[in-house]
Amino acid sequence: MDGIIDFFRTAPIPPDVLAPSLWLIIALPLLGAFVCGVFGRMLGRANVNLIACSAVAGAFVLSVLTFWATSDSAGGRVVNFPNPFGLERDVVRYALAHDYGTWFAAGDFRVNFGLLVDHLSGTLLLVITGVGFLIHLYSTSYMEHDEGYARYFAYLNLFVAAMLTLVMADNLVLLFVGWEGVGMASYLLIGFWYTDPAKAWAGRKAFVTNRIGDFAFLIATFLIVLLVGAFNRQADPRDFNAAGTSRERYEQALSERGPVNFKGLEKMAQGLPEGTGGKVSLETPIESGPLEGHTFGGVMTVAMLLFLLGAAGKSAQLPLYVWLPDAMAGPTPVSALIHAATMVTAGVYLFCRMSSLLVLSPTAMATIAIVGALTSLLAALIAFAQDDIKKVLAYSTVSQLGIMFMGVGMGIFWAAALHLVTHAFFKACLFLGAGSVMHGNGDETDIKKLGGLRHEMKWTWGTFLVATFAITGIFPLSGFFSKDAIFHGVEHNHLHGLHWVSEVVYALGLVITACTAFYMSRVYLLTFEGKRSSEARVAHAHESAWHMTLPLVVLAVLSVAAAVYAFPLMPRAGGGMQPVFENFLSPVLRPAETVAKAAETVELDNSTPSLLAYLTAWLVAISGGGLAAYLYLSFFPKRAGQPVGAVARAVRRVAHNKFYVDELYEFIIIRPIKFLSFILFRVVDSLVIDTVFVRGTAWVTARVGSALRYLQSGDAQAYAAVMAVALLGGVAYALIQVLQ
Amino acid sequence: MSFFDTHLLNVVIYLPLVFAALVLMLPASEPGQIRAVTLVGMLLDLVFGAWAYLRYEPGGPEFQMEFRVPWFEHFGTSYHLGVDGLAASLLMLTVFLGPLVVLASTTYISHRIKEFHLALLVLQTTMLGALASMDVLLFYIFFEAMLVPMYLLVGVWGAEDRQMAAVKFFLYTLVGSLLMLVAIVSLYFISAPPGARSFDYATMYNNLLSANRSLAACVNGPEGACASLTGLAKLLHTWGPWMFAAFALAFAIKVPMWPVHTWLPDAHVQAPVAGSMILAGVMLKMGTYGFWRFAIPFFPVAAQQARPFLATLAVIGIVYGALMCLAQRDIKKLIAYSSVSHLGYCMLGMLAVTVEGATGSAYQMLNHGVSTGALFLLFGFLYERRHSRLMSDFGGIAKVMPVFTVAFIIITFSSIAVPGTNGFIGEFLVLLGTFKSSLSLGFGAFATLGVILGAAYMLWMVQKVFFGALTHRENQHLRDMNLREVLTVLPFIIMVPVMGLMPQPFLDRIAPSTDRFVARASVGAPGAQVKDDQLRVEAMALPSSATAAAPSAHVPHAARAAAPSPRP
Repeated sequence: MDGIIDFFRTAPIPPDVLAPSLWLIIALPLLGAFVCGVFGRMLGRANVNLIACSAVAGAFVLSVLTFWATSDSAGGRVVNFPNPFGLERDVVRYALAHDYGTWFAAGDFRVNFGLLVDHLSGTLLLVITGVGFLIHLYSTSYMEHDEGYARYFAYLNLFVAAMLTLVMADNLVLLFVGWEGVGMASYLLIGFWYTDPAKAWAGRKAFVTNRIGDFAFLIATFLIVLLVGAFNRQADPRDFNAAGTSRERYEQALSERGPVNFKGLEKMAQGLPEGTGGKVSLETPIESGPLEGHTFGGVMTVAMLLFLLGAAGKSAQLPLYVWLPDAMAGPTPVSALIHAATMVTAGVYLFCRMSSLLVLSPTAMATIAIVGALTSLLAALIAFAQDDIKKVLAYSTVSQLGIMFMGVGMGIFWAAALHLVTHAFFKACLFLGAGSVMHGNGDETDIKKLGGLRHEMKWTWGTFLVATFAITGIFPLSGFFSKDAIFHGVEHNHLHGLHWVSEVVYALGLVITACTAFYMSRVYLLTFEGKRSSEARVAHAHESAWHMTLPLVVLAVLSVAAAVYAFPLMPRAGGGMQPVFENFLSPVLRPAETVAKAAETVELDNSTPSLLAYLTAWLVAISGGGLAAYLYLSFFPKRAGQPVGAVARAVRRVAHNKFYVDELYEFIIIRPIKFLSFILFRVVDSLVIDTVFVRGTAWVTARVGSALRYLQSGDAQAYAAVMAVALLGGVAYALIQVLQ
Repeated sequence: MSFFDTHLLNVVIYLPLVFAALVLMLPASEPGQIRAVTLVGMLLDLVFGAWAYLRYEPGGPEFQMEFRVPWFEHFGTSYHLGVDGLAASLLMLTVFLGPLVVLASTTYISHRIKEFHLALLVLQTTMLGALASMDVLLFYIFFEAMLVPMYLLVGVWGAEDRQMAAVKFFLYTLVGSLLMLVAIVSLYFISAPPGARSFDYATMYNNLLSANRSLAACVNGPEGACASLTGLAKLLHTWGPWMFAAFALAFAIKVPMWPVHTWLPDAHVQAPVAGSMILAGVMLKMGTYGFWRFAIPFFPVAAQQARPFLATLAVIGIVYGALMCLAQRDIKKLIAYSSVSHLGYCMLGMLAVTVEGATGSAYQMLNHGVSTGALFLLFGFLYERRHSRLMSDFGGIAKVMPVFTVAFIIITFSSIAVPGTNGFIGEFLVLLGTFKSSLSLGFGAFATLGVILGAAYMLWMVQKVFFGALTHRENQHLRDMNLREVLTVLPFIIMVPVMGLMPQPFLDRIAPSTDRFVARASVGAPGAQVKDDQLRVEAMALPSSATAAAPSAHVPHAARAAAPSPRP
């Protein structure tokens, strides 16, 4: 037994050897993208498949090695690196980092190419490259009839590279590279079948909506930079002491690593709370600079709310969720990888990464939780009435992301991250299953026109069923535990001054659970159970090739196995046991806990859910699923052909049309902007500036010239007469002057 | 001491003119030879220009590779060349675009080929000359001379409405620059007593400096403190705002800032591909360069007073330009309006008067040259094939021109500043600088709106042109780019990630100029801590008559240090 533990505690490649090579994890898929994109046509389909898959597989192997290395404790010494922002002896444990030097610097601002892998980003590395590899493998079969395979795999590899940059970045600006990079890849992949205008439009919609979020992200970044500057100017030794650093070390690190480094932000967060006895606290007004007069806490809240808007763009939350359902225009594996498993969780990752800053602002946290809950509920309600299998899954993704936001907002970061991971497994499985269904049914996506696939597509059916149970939250699958961990935290964590949020969000959470169970059961029942629809495109569906079913099986197994992470198996520091994943992420999230404790903004609860809580959640889920089963297996089939009530029809129509949110945006934002630009162009630019002022000036000049032309008559007598008159006038004037 | 130590800038500037002479001697019936000779000239110029760029030492004196000989001594002018970091960077951009412009026009221009290439070569000389001039009058001469070949490019080789656009362009820019001439001459008279007057940039600036500082002290001091001003400071107090206005108007038209931008869409739409590329790539930067080098440092107090106003115009330009793009149907007009938006960032970064903002502004000048130059180039290829500028005449051409589409999309991402491309660094630094500056946060927030709108209009255009079904029969047989065209675009495509991922070598050369610009501009700002050692312009003194007789002889460094520029 000890031998096995020792084996796992000793990384095959020592951390200090691996750290300088972290860039390879990003470079491999990037190289794959380059080769596939530039030489794809020359290489042919088989080679492109091989290169794209092996690039991601290589990244996966490196990720495993890196992940292993982040837990390396060979010889009793835990892997660590010196925290540049801390005192000499301050080390970051369970993490690898390497700084590759300056990206750009101007004035006292600087951004470095710095990569950091700790347990949080390490987990995500595994998810991205692991699920990414499975989806690449799946795609080789899914895209076997498509002409644009080279372009497809180039984009897909590019996406993986960008996503890896996002999670490995050790500062906000480099994270933003990945953040926009995945948006760009997503734009290209949604519009992959660009000859269809609707698909090209969906890609553009996704990008522009994301850009609204990025606008907020950028402003928030600038505010953070200003805040770091103000903190550095105003803090006194006690503040630095509380953060475990000194002014000299902090300033030196700022000049070497720049103000947007996550470690530096963490130190600032530790120095800000009241309890430090220092000069700076959340209520301290900023003395000088552009933020003069605002308090540190106030600016932090604004910055966090702006980050929320940014995250809402990427993670499809209110009010920017509208792009995600349309993003289903892309190939299904893309939906599975980008729009379910990885990219859309970037917002959750961002908040986990900046958890120590976030806990300083209960207002922002409450807003995040409420936005998450409302989004989740709205998306679940819309999902009730969607008939497109991918659309249902898309709204369910929005809904699940909302649950993660609830967790992040209520400070239960580890559970949100765990749900991110389990969701990546079961949602990817669902999407790939949907893709398999489409592949076997002539690209049919309408669940009303499927049905009875249970017998024809056995592997797809089995895995889809497991994933449906997982997302519904059926004991003992992973989704049950991760979702329940979030709800438990939501119920027991309290935001300072905002205690009502816990209860409201928890109540909404239970409703969402029931809704999730309902619509997921509906999709499953209509697709796989019952009789085959008479409107089906092909008479008999065919099961997909092993390239497609193997990833399904692996993901289904993972959806079950990931539950282990939520079991309370690890010893807690203060006695008792704690869930594996909480224990595992604690090196990353401990600063947030200490900050929250010092600032007294959030009461974090560490208890494990009781059996009663488990039972409640389970009953809620079962009741939702049971209702769906009753309605779709018994109630509706019996009533087939009978007229539907007017109210029921209206409700269904509103839900089917997504509560007309898209139309609303069209009317209150897009149309007015288009109209404004048109009016500005026609009236201000063409008429006022160009015609009246510019041409007007020319016209006046020309008119004056042609008027004056008549004076130049060339008539000597007229000239003489004018001269005489002028002379006379002059003489008369002189005489008057003299006489007076 | 080699010839190139003293004459490198001269070589860079006049090499195109020498090749113009060669072209002049070629018969007009030999278009191939004319093109080849022009291309060789531009390529050679690129080599020398790149050499000059690499020779520029970021840590060295402000102006490097100086060259100065007497020239109309009675007026106080001299023939004085030299480049600082910004000028060297823009010089590099100009020589970079030179050969590409020639390649881009190979099939585009089919008549008056000889005259066309003559105009290109002369234009190149005037632009390089304006960038390297250290004498204000010499700068003015080059600045105005630029108009003539550009006028011809638009007026002779332009599209259907070329005459109108050319005249509009010429008169519009001339109005501003004539006012600037008045300001230059009056500045010449007031800046020094008779006998010591000089048009030399260093002398002029240094003469104004102490007056500007006392003026700044009184303007930012208590009410009525300015009544006790005497001499130059008093004159500057009264007339400085007017002279600044004259300079600012001339350069604002060139930039172009809102609302004096309306010549730009017309000129761009009508200009041939070469004209558009040069206009967007280099000539617009003459406006921002003018603000940077002349208008703001000469009149820091007036500039400080006008700063909120000008910054407002810049922000309006960013948002308004982007909104204009959304209302266009003409692709070239859209790109032209996007220039208004991008140049708004350049101006805003400069007016922020922070190191970050100024660096971003300078970098954005280079970026805009690369990305918008490339957009015009790529659109030129399309125009050659289809002879239409309307978006509605295209659609779905990604199917028939995949390589072209890829190139266009890469440049589009650069234009909308996706991180990893060059555009991001410039835009990010400009916005960061604006947030850090003493301008209110609203300026930064509104300017950041450009991030959204930029994506909206560019991707809208891309979608209209490239995506969807092939709706027009004429577009079904468009051929993709040929080798020459690919080679012309390739340098741009390479520069986009290179400047985006390795910006530091470029920024290092800009950095000394930004430090000095910020120091000089903040002379007028209340409470600013000005780095005194950054303020004075140190430049080569006029060589004594003995060395002037042999201009090629080098003035030793020791002599330079011992004899600083003449002071009143």
